[in-house]
Amino acid sequence: MNIRTLKAVAAGSVLALGLVSGAANAATADGTARATILQQVTVTNTSDLQFGTVAIGTGGGSVTVATGGGRTCATTLVCSGATTAAGFAVAGAVGMNVGVTVPGSVTLTETGGATMSATLNSSAASLTLAGTAADAFSVGGTLNVGGSQAAGAYAGTFTVTVNYQ
Amino acid sequence: MRLPKFMSGLGLVALVVAAPAQAAGDLLVAPTRVILDGARGTEVILNNIDSETATYRVSLEVRRMNADGTLDEVEPEKATAAEAQALSMITYAPRRIELAPNQPQAIRIGVRSPADLPDGEYRVHMLFRAIPTARSVTETQTTDSGLSIALTPIYGVTIPVIIRKGALKATAAIGDARIDRSTGQPELTMSLSREGSRSTYGRIRVLKPGKSTPVFEVRGVAVYPEVNKRAVSFPIDAQTAAQLAGPATVQYLEEADAGGRVIAETQTVIR
Repeated sequence: MNIRTLKAVAAGSVLALGLVSGAANAATADGTARATILQQVTVTNTSDLQFGTVAIGTGGGSVTVATGGGRTCATTLVCSGATTAAGFAVAGAVGMNVGVTVPGSVTLTETGGATMSATLNSSAASLTLAGTAADAFSVGGTLNVGGSQAAGAYAGTFTVTVNYQ
Repeated sequence: MRLPKFMSGLGLVALVVAAPAQAAGDLLVAPTRVILDGARGTEVILNNIDSETATYRVSLEVRRMNADGTLDEVEPEKATAAEAQALSMITYAPRRIELAPNQPQAIRIGVRSPADLPDGEYRVHMLFRAIPTARSVTETQTTDSGLSIALTPIYGVTIPVIIRKGALKATAAIGDARIDRSTGQPELTMSLSREGSRSTYGRIRVLKPGKSTPVFEVRGVAVYPEVNKRAVSFPIDAQTAAQLAGPATVQYLEEADAGGRVIAETQTVIR
């Protein structure tokens, strides 16, 4: 997890970006330096959503990777390889309530143009940041493989956002 | 095409699990909320906290709050007149930035409001996210009957950017504070209702008789004008649930930097 300290950012802001909140109004010769401390958030991707490898056995079916990372494979499919849920860590001001949005579905496209759909779900719709490793959520999904799905490498993207109110 | 060493050795022998696709683009954003009163602009800091150079994109979105407090994106063509007005008034730059690791960048935000802008609160959400590095699907190998799947997350942060014009007022009320144990994990739930011409924002806390510090506190809770009433629910542990039960004062307060005023308060018995 890459978390930079607030101090580093505040210092960086002041030096590089001039975010000083205001000049001191001191009447004496002693200067007072004031810097705005900004509330920050970091989002880190800790693992990817991996469905492993799927081969069509007797027909189409679905493969589900739960938000915990475990796989459920339809008996009509042959699944192998390691699976993981996509993991994200959030770090920010303690006590802040933040929302998480994940698209309900996503389309994957194969180089030849074949497509496959997947549904996605998040382990949490909102988080209250505690300043611990528990400030995280994961995204699992269900891949719907057609009985005559073309073999190949399917790729797609999905957008995950952490939303401040 | 760039194959990890161990994979190029395998050649075409076997089917390989979708290539590990750790996307670059971890990010830091500060601050996490922007209020603009008048014509003065501000800056938001974006920092690349990943170990590789990444390209980030900044954009504006319309998002609407649901009754459960979640913020759903609305397509620009479905925006209301006020939402479209907000989109058109906010200027920001740069919008696409390549950043080396730990290199911060200030995004300047300005307001260009028409002279005849009606009083009100105008809001958009600013999205910061990395553009994933283009990955060729040929990086993964498959057998004849196999499917390999590479799903790349594009992840980021949205923060509200709010413009207020005129003397706007809002009041709020707290209702039905209770502990919901129906799902196994206890949750403190309540409703927040709002009236007036602007949103409310602040912290929710629960005070117990005889205790000088709040037994529960959560920050960053908004009720936006598109909802007159929303539910809030916070997962709590069994110990907190036990502490909360019984007579209590529930407060909804502005943040300290906004004055710290009590927006709503209710005396209740939490069950």
